[in-house]
Parts: sequence; C-alpha cells; structure tokens
Amino acid sequence: MSRVLQARGVVMTFRNGDEETEVLRGIDVALETGELVALVGASGSGKSTLLSILGLLLRPTAGEIEIAGQRVEGMSERARAAFRNQRLGFVFQFHHLLPDFSAMENVAFPAAAPAGGISPEMRRRALSLLDRVGLADRADFPATRLSGGQKQRVAIARALMNKPDLVIADEPTGNLDLRSAGQVLDLMEEVNREDGGTFLICTHDEHVAARCSRRIQLVDGRVQAQDEGSDHRD
Amino acid sequence: MFALKVARRYLTSNPAQTVLLVTGVALGVTVFIFITALIEGLAIRLTDQVTANSAHVTLEPPTRLAEILTGDEAVRTEGVALVSTFQRRQIRAWRSTAELITRQPGVSALSPQISGNAFLVKGEAVQPVSVTGLEPEGLDAITPITPNLVSGQGALGADGLLIGTQLAEDLGLTAGQPVLLRTDRGGERLLTVRGVFKTGLQSLDSRVAFLSLQTARPLFDLPEGVTNIEIKLDDPGRAREVADFLAGATGLRATPWQEKNLNLEDALEAQGRTGTLIQLFSLISIVIGVASALVLSAYRRRSEVGIMRAFGISGGFIVAVFMLQGLLIGLAGGLLGCVSGYGLCTFLASLTDAEGNAPLPIAPERGGYVAVLILTTLGAVLASAFPARSASRIDPLEAIQQ
Ligand SMILES: Nc1ncnc2c1ncn2[C@@H]1O[C@H](COP(=O)(O)OP(=O)(O)OP(=O)(O)O)[C@@H](O)[C@H]1O
Ligand SMILES: [Mg+2]
Repeated sequence: MSRVLQARGVVMTFRNGDEETEVLRGIDVALETGELVALVGASGSGKSTLLSILGLLLRPTAGEIEIAGQRVEGMSERARAAFRNQRLGFVFQFHHLLPDFSAMENVAFPAAAPAGGISPEMRRRALSLLDRVGLADRADFPATRLSGGQKQRVAIARALMNKPDLVIADEPTGNLDLRSAGQVLDLMEEVNREDGGTFLICTHDEHVAARCSRRIQLVDGRVQAQDEGSDHRD
Repeated sequence: MFALKVARRYLTSNPAQTVLLVTGVALGVTVFIFITALIEGLAIRLTDQVTANSAHVTLEPPTRLAEILTGDEAVRTEGVALVSTFQRRQIRAWRSTAELITRQPGVSALSPQISGNAFLVKGEAVQPVSVTGLEPEGLDAITPITPNLVSGQGALGADGLLIGTQLAEDLGLTAGQPVLLRTDRGGERLLTVRGVFKTGLQSLDSRVAFLSLQTARPLFDLPEGVTNIEIKLDDPGRAREVADFLAGATGLRATPWQEKNLNLEDALEAQGRTGTLIQLFSLISIVIGVASALVLSAYRRRSEVGIMRAFGISGGFIVAVFMLQGLLIGLAGGLLGCVSGYGLCTFLASLTDAEGNAPLPIAPERGGYVAVLILTTLGAVLASAFPARSASRIDPLEAIQQ
C-alpha cells in the first residue's frame, strides 16, 4: 500500500484582532491508498478546519503536508487549485450542485471546465458514475429536481469524476435521513472496496464511523488515538 | 467553449431579469442612435439648405497683395502688386476658364457672373443691393430662382430685374414696375422688375437683385470680363479638393462653400459636441446598468462560484463566465437597440406636418449603428470586468460554510 496523505505537525491558529484561537495544535495524520477513514471529535474540535487544510482550501499556520507524493505548502494559489482539481474530490454536508445544470453536467463539470467542454469520453464517464450511484435514469434531470439524497449521490459522483487520489467528505450524511445516509455510505464503501478509492470522512454519526476501516479522533486540537475501526464496533 | 455554455445557462436561468437587462441596454442604444441620426440629419438639412442655394466653389481673381512679402519673393510680389493696382479685378479669359471647368468630372453647373454693389431707388426709397449679372439661360444654375418665383416670371430680357420678396416689400415694388439701379461704378439705368422670388434665405430675399450679364456690363464698366465664376458640384462634400485643383489649374482664387459659411461649420460643431455628450451618457448608463446587474448576479451565485473554486476550477474560467455574460448582453442589447433605433428613426423621418415637410430632420441611415454596436459590446464587457474579478476571488471556504 502506498501513502496517499502524510501530514506532520499541522498547527492552525485563527487570529481575530488581539484574540488568538489555537484550533489545531500539532496534528500528524497518514492515510494509505484504499483506506476509508472516519474523522471524529466533539463539535468545535477542529475537524472541518483540518479537512480544509488537507483539502488545500486553507493554509495552516504550520506543518508539512504531502499528498500523492507531492509537498503542497509551497504551491501558489493557482497550483493549489489545479491540484485540487486533479487529485482531490470533495463532498460537503450540503450538496452544492449547480442548479442550472443537469445531473450529468454537474458530474462532468470538474473535468469539463478546465478542458473547455464536455467531451464524449467525459460524458461516458459521468454517465457511468451516475449509473454507479444508481441515478442513470436521472442523468438529464436538472439538479434542482432531484431529492436530497439523490443530490448528495450526484455530489459523490462529481467528487469522483477526475479519479481523485483522495476524497474528502465533511459530514456527507449530516443533512440526510437514515435511509439516504445509508445509501450514501454504501456507495462510498463500494467505491472504496471496488476501485480502491481513499476516503477521509468527517462525521458525527456513530453508524458512519463504525463502518469505516479506521477512525481518527480529535480532542483539544490533537489526535487522540488511531485505532482499528473494528475495535469500536458495538 | 464551456465558459460560454455556462454564461448562456446563467442568462437563460433567469429569463425575466435577462430580458429586462437586454431591454435596458437596447433602450440606451436606441437613444444613442436617435441622437446620432438627429444630429446627422440636422447637419445634412442645414448643409443642404446652404449648398442647394449657393455655389459650391467660387472662382475670383487673385487678391491683391494677398501674400506676405518674404525674402527673395519680395521684389517679384511687389511687381505684381504694382501692376494690379492699375488693373480692374476681373477674369478676362472667362470663356476658356469656363470650358476648362466644364470638363472637370463632378462639376454639374457653372455660372460666370458680374457681381457688384448698387442702390435701388424707387421714389424716395433707397435700398443697397448686391447685384448679380448672369447669363439668362443660367439663371437657376446656382440658386433655383424660377421655381421660387412668387410673382412675375423669370425672363430677364435686356432691362429685366429679379428681386426677393423682402426687398420688394422694402421698396414697395411689384412685378412689372420700373426701378432705378445706381451702381458703385457710377452706372445708372431704369430697369423693370420682372419677377419676385422667395427662397427662404434671408440674405437672398432681402439683398440680392439678378439681371442679365449683358445688362450688367455697362453698369459695372466691364465690357469683356466677369468678376467671378460660380460652380455647382454633384457632391458638395468634394468642394475643398475641387477648389484646390481649380486654384492650381487656373491661377484664380477658388473658395469652397464651407469657407464662405464658417458660421455653419461652427454651429454644426457645437451640435456635434452636444450629440457626443448625449451619446456618452447613454453609453455610461448602459455600462452602469450591465455592471450593477452582474454585480448582483455574482453576489447571488457566490456559493456556486465558491464550490467551483473548491473543485479547483480556475479563476480565469470564472472571469470568462461573467465577461461572456457581459458580451452576450451587450451584443443582444446592441442588436435589439439597432433594430428599434432604426425603426424609431424611420418612423419619425416618415412623419410630415401639414405642409408636407418633415418636422424632425432625422437621417435613419446615419444612426452610427456599427459604432454603437461595437461601443455597447465593449462597454458591456468592460462593465462585467469588475464583477468577474470579484467573483473569481470568492473564497471557496466561505461558500461551503454558509
Ligand atoms: N475562520 C475562523 N476564524 C476563527 N475561528 C474559527 C474559524 N474557523 C473555525 N474557527 C474555530 O475553530 C474551531 C473549530 O471549528 P471547526 O469548524 O473546525 O469545528 P468542527 O470540529 O468541524 O465542528 P462541527 O462538528 O460543529 O462541525 C471552532 O471553535 C471555530 O469557532
Ligand atoms: Mg465541521
């Protein structure tokens, strides 16, 4: 197994005028290819902040980060954007689909925008991803006409469009009912199992965390323990 | 191009707003076209009035001592001056000159004339007049007199005289009556008013009297020559170049009509400036309208744009999406405005008052369509630059966290 992510000594301090909040106090995280990892911790413990940093959406105060073998701290904003596009996939609590586009177009968007259009090959991949998330028959539906769970599944397909090395998901089921949440999680598990996709999922949901292969617990800005997920199954 | 597709999708997703925006731009363009066509039409009407009733190029003998004496030329010029002091200012070889002029392409008519100052005396009443002696068959060559006669007829004969209505009124004259003409050369003759004309031009109607060239000769003491040759061109716009050419070819002084009507040029320029100001304001209002609409649109789409940035879609793509929206709005509004502007101008130009005249001198074909289309499109693209830039700088985290 190769290492997808390696973060060392990640520190994040927010400054609001004179007031400083140290949210992350030296985090070390490593993810191997094909892992499905849950990031857990109390509300306000810094989970979203850490995901933003690992997803290159936020620059840490200190720390070294290596993703898919590349050091990312020194990259320019432009390079970080290109890196996010090529190497990372994002799923958020809210689907954030583009309302003026169809399900297929939403899925293809991350590939189409840099390339200047939806090529037949992109279209095929987008359709096969929609098929995989069980929405082949909804490909031409406008995003606004899908249900909440369907939208989130389209968002997952979109995150997978550019074959990312790592998918970062911040409470992907936080906004869904039990059944939809189950479907979304099944899907991520399936992609993880069949394609070897690597997932880092932040969640408050014990069911979700329990189905991951491993969990990382944040307490007071530090990683508390890195156990095998199976130890925590009840 | 995918950015274009996104831009189009954004515009069609809110059709009511887009239609309103495009209509606003089209309205600004219509105002621009209306003003341009009106100013141009006014200039054409004023110019036509002048060029229709007066010569386009006037040939006269060279002015005495016209040149400033410099160095080597001093002696020669002084010599010319000495000679001309004793000469009557006239064009002696006017027949050959007239032939030369007639052969020039673009010359539609010419009239050799004897012009001078005189007084018309009728009993106790005396009026200064500008006398024009011309060949009777060429009476209408420069100024259409016969069609503008209000009484009498245009046959000058040996002792005939044609005067304007204003002058006739001032002297209490009517067609058929005799009047005494006394020139500044001392000539005096009793003539008959054959006809009274009304051109609508104050200077003609109140100050000018026409008689035949033969009648004018003894009165102005010019047995052979003429004082000036008036020329009419097919295209008055070419007057300056024709004048330059004729001055070189004949050695005479050639004056294009524009130089005899400097007031008109000033008036046209002032009008043009007013027009430019209104055009500028209509363009500014277009730019402000498009900019504010796109600023709002960029604001409403913050989270969408933020999510695109999160997937790593480049700032350049976002800029392109918003600037293409500006381009599409500018093009659509510009084209629509051109159509409605042309429609409005054509309609207004077709209106006539009770006398069959157009109350608004609009030239629908001179609306500056290409210029306004280009300026509007450029303006709209420019207007979208700021919202495009600010959209491209949206922080993806803000969009995700809200
Ligand atoms: N931009 C910011 N400026 C100042 N403080 C911030 C900023 N972003 C986050 N924080 C603080 O950092 C801490 C961690 O926030 P974060 O969103 O990472 O928590 P979380 O673990 O994701 O919480 P939850 O489970 O509720 O989503 C919080 O105390 C928050 O107030
Ligand atoms: Mg969070």
